[in-house]
Amino acid sequence: MSRRSLGELSSYLLEGRLSQRGCINGRRLSSRTVPVWPSLRPPNALRRLHTQPEPATTATATAPQASHVPLRKQLKEQAKQAKKQGKKKAKGDSQTADGWELTVGIEIHAQLNTSRKLFSPAATSFNDEPNSHVALFDVAMPGSQPLFQKEALIPAIRAALALNCEIQPVSRFDRKHYFWWDQPSGYQITQFYEPFAKRGHITLLARDGIAVEDGESVTIGIKQVQLEQDTAKTLAQAGSVHWLDFNRVGVPLIEIITEPEIHHPRTAAVLVRKIQLLLSTVDSCVSGMETGGLRADVNVSVRRTDDPSKKLGTRTEIKNLSTIRAVEDAIIAERDRQIQQLEAGGVIAGETRGWTVGSKETRRLRGKEGEVDYRYMPDPDLAPLVIGKDLVQHLQTSLAVLPDTELDKLVDHYGLTPKDALSLITLDNGARVQYFYRVLALLESKLQAEPDIAESPEVKSYATLAGNWILHELGRLTTYKAGPLASGDLSFTQLGECAQVPEEDLSQLLYHLYRKHITGKVAKELLMAVYLGELEGGVLEAIESNDLWFKEISQHEYEALAAAAAEGEDKMLEEFADADRYPRGKLMYLVGKMMRLGPTERIDPATAEKTMKLWIERHHGGPEAARLV
Amino acid sequence: MTAALVRRRALTQTRWNVNHNRSIGRLPLRRSQSTLNHFVASTKLQPISPPPQPRPDARPFRLAVKDNITTEEFPTQCASGILGQHASPFEATIVRQLRARGASVVGKTNMDEFGMGSHSTHSIHGPVRNPLAATGEDVSAGGSSGGSAVAVAVGDADVALGTDTGGSVRLPAAYTGIVGYKPSYGMLSRFGVVPYANSLDTVGLLARDVEPIRKLVFDTGLYEEHDPNDPTSLSVETRQRCSKASSPYLPDLSQLTIGIPVEYNIAELDPSIREAWVATASALESQGARVVPVSLPSTKEALCAYYILAPAEASSNLAKYDGVRYGIRGSEGDAAGETLYSETRGAGFGAEVKRRILLGTYSLSSEAMDNYFIQAQKIRRLIQRDFDRVFKLDNPLYEPRQFDLSEMSSDTALEDKQGPVQVDFLLSPTAPTYPPKLSDIQKRSSVDVYMNDVLTVPASLAGLPAVSVPVKIDQSDQFPAGLQVIAQYWDDRRLLALGDKVMKLMAA
Repeated sequence: MSRRSLGELSSYLLEGRLSQRGCINGRRLSSRTVPVWPSLRPPNALRRLHTQPEPATTATATAPQASHVPLRKQLKEQAKQAKKQGKKKAKGDSQTADGWELTVGIEIHAQLNTSRKLFSPAATSFNDEPNSHVALFDVAMPGSQPLFQKEALIPAIRAALALNCEIQPVSRFDRKHYFWWDQPSGYQITQFYEPFAKRGHITLLARDGIAVEDGESVTIGIKQVQLEQDTAKTLAQAGSVHWLDFNRVGVPLIEIITEPEIHHPRTAAVLVRKIQLLLSTVDSCVSGMETGGLRADVNVSVRRTDDPSKKLGTRTEIKNLSTIRAVEDAIIAERDRQIQQLEAGGVIAGETRGWTVGSKETRRLRGKEGEVDYRYMPDPDLAPLVIGKDLVQHLQTSLAVLPDTELDKLVDHYGLTPKDALSLITLDNGARVQYFYRVLALLESKLQAEPDIAESPEVKSYATLAGNWILHELGRLTTYKAGPLASGDLSFTQLGECAQVPEEDLSQLLYHLYRKHITGKVAKELLMAVYLGELEGGVLEAIESNDLWFKEISQHEYEALAAAAAEGEDKMLEEFADADRYPRGKLMYLVGKMMRLGPTERIDPATAEKTMKLWIERHHGGPEAARLV
Repeated sequence: MTAALVRRRALTQTRWNVNHNRSIGRLPLRRSQSTLNHFVASTKLQPISPPPQPRPDARPFRLAVKDNITTEEFPTQCASGILGQHASPFEATIVRQLRARGASVVGKTNMDEFGMGSHSTHSIHGPVRNPLAATGEDVSAGGSSGGSAVAVAVGDADVALGTDTGGSVRLPAAYTGIVGYKPSYGMLSRFGVVPYANSLDTVGLLARDVEPIRKLVFDTGLYEEHDPNDPTSLSVETRQRCSKASSPYLPDLSQLTIGIPVEYNIAELDPSIREAWVATASALESQGARVVPVSLPSTKEALCAYYILAPAEASSNLAKYDGVRYGIRGSEGDAAGETLYSETRGAGFGAEVKRRILLGTYSLSSEAMDNYFIQAQKIRRLIQRDFDRVFKLDNPLYEPRQFDLSEMSSDTALEDKQGPVQVDFLLSPTAPTYPPKLSDIQKRSSVDVYMNDVLTVPASLAGLPAVSVPVKIDQSDQFPAGLQVIAQYWDDRRLLALGDKVMKLMAA
């Protein structure tokens, strides 16, 4: 499951250098840490689009004892719920317009994760000093020439493979001409006539959040993927002055062009989000939409559903959508505008339109008559790009596990909830899930190393525990106002290493927790101590020296406590027998009482609960009790 | 908005346009005052980088450099208003290579703006004049490397660098009576050559004899040097492979077959130039060479194809001169029609450059692309095949090709059952006429002027090496005829040897 880093691949494939990591420098942390931007963003972005209600309790660690519902059933339930929810919401209505069919095609521009520009050895950068990474060719210095940087191919091909494209053995570069101040040469080098990847597809599932009308899944064709240059960045200054930062000029982009096969606004938004996720999973893309690394243009047209000719309507293009939300909103607004226009007897002009975040209408940027003839011409300085089969093959086999496959495995094999699984995959640019695998592997080996336990425990039972801790307990660390030492954020390397909470410590801690050698409370305190760097000799030593071992009371004592807690609660206990719904709250009250009566630090809440439940069943019966145990 | 754009320019300019700080004085007045107008008067600059390390075999010589090749010591202006005093932050590879071999750059030479022209008249500095002309007469020095040719012809430089896109080195060499050599495409680095039409542009050398050129290119190993900065510079491996495909030595003339391309015998050919051509062929024949007529049937389309392809590339290459980084912005905003650049480009470019930009813009437009640009590319292929068919040597860039007799014209004479005769070299005039008077050129339409390139353009389209050498039949003639020898790709060394032989043979 581990992902090979792009840099490592690149130096192996292009320069024949083998990675040093893994043998000599075995456990050295990779120097490149993943930027922490996604730690908050994607979940928010996802949440916005999730149509199902969000139960506030999902975050608490109840998973281990939750009975397992088959994934498909669960998804169906969710879809049903979404449908119900969708009908209530205004936005749900906006997915369709009676009597009309919407058709959308999308062009997505993504910045490739590579260290040099497409045609010059200048470094790619994000927020560096303006105009500090500029080669002669980047500013079109007379007499300078393009030098193709083959490193860009690795992330580009990986992206195309993730989108199931056919990699073309020969592709070419063309010049696309138009005058604009952010483009020094007067043309952009792109791949118009012969792109490097064609005929791909992407499948969107109900769980991705597509429009309910699209059912369980929908597959959208990818027409082509092409390599091209970015333009310079315009920095607006006060008083209608603009500055130009040429650091971005010539940075490698891929443009992904879908077939016009999308018919619902939300599905379009989900497509963009999923492509973003795919690109980040295969490590092709440097940053997400919100940081400007990804931009989308959408082509929108409508036609009457009863139109016998089935010809697509005139399309308009909405340029430069920079958030996933904007994609959906802009498509809805543009569709409604076109329908209104047509219903009023008007016609749609093929034109380019713009969208401002938060607005309700698209606005006209330029019409067909103002449209530029790009005069595409093969670049005479650039040789055809020949991509060997061996390279494609190698990249295909080393391709990171794609999100859908990984999600399925996390849910089916490891027993995580789809929501937790998705969060794991999305967080920290995919580094969090790598961390999960690392911790899990160590935890597993500790569990298997126990000589006195013959049967190895079920994977799901400890994997969900690890998942919960890695998502929720780790997440809690940074929200604690834990004192001056709290650094504020966790950072992970791309390989999933975390210096703040080393996997060795966390797995040790989880091992003892799983085996009930320590209580959850103790485990949380230990985790905080690890995070703050307060443990000198490791987790085990800390437990030993502070005698934090959980000395659990005997089953006999549990039963005595259950009986004691039930005393004087006859009225309440009656409810267990009669209730249509199991009075879980009341059960928890009784368990709480057990904990108070006994030596709290020696009681395992789960065992206490189980004992209480059995006690009630034995003494008062009840239809639900039997099933739950 | 426009005002903002004007200001925006300042940011980028301060970083790259540093010529004012680098100025270290005017050039000697002698040159700018010369009536021949072959050097460009410019302010000498403080070089940014140290001079190249001299090679052990360096021998000092004076080098004139065409003004579309970047130099650190002089501005690079391409005879254009739009690049006025442009101080290049880097020096062309070829200049550095020659400096390492002992060259001292004596100045930048006048030319047709961005290399577009055949008489070195389309220049912001005014026309170059031919030193062979009678006193008081203004005669074309040829173009576009006219200044470089004159610098060599009058002895201001031992060797000059020019660029040859469709004949721009060979034609001025022919007009001024010197040697002009256009190497195989991809042999000499174009890094630092301001492009006119990248797929055709080659750096060329001019000298009074073949020998200095041959020595520089071959004895000092220039032809072996790959330039990583030029993506069209052949790799070392390809160079070695190409070199193995042909012999470095010219055999005795008796073992050579020289082709006379019949399509080059055009009606417009000046009779005395035809006479020089015949005389040269006869002289070679009398020395034992076999001289045979050959047919290159696509020749008549070559000029049309050239004048589609070169302007198309030019219109693209010159898009960068928009006033944001290069060129002076006018005071008028271009707010009308929301175009930002038309004023700069209108004022900065000369008439011929504008004409070719318009031509190229049209032929690349979506409505004309298929009928012009694509067709011209196909013709280019045909022309290359024509050459490959007549040369004995295979083109080392391709797998050996089989030519079907049915593809050849029916009147092609067959040599034997193997097919028509194949040749080592082609011999033709360089230009159809002697250099015209400047006053006559002005009377001609631009298409008539383009006609002048008809004999040089085919080798450019095919990327083949060619050399123009002066031949005077009657020593009392005012102008020599320029005769062109064309060879198979990478057969440059033997080409120069034959050029040298022709020159010596005809001088005797």
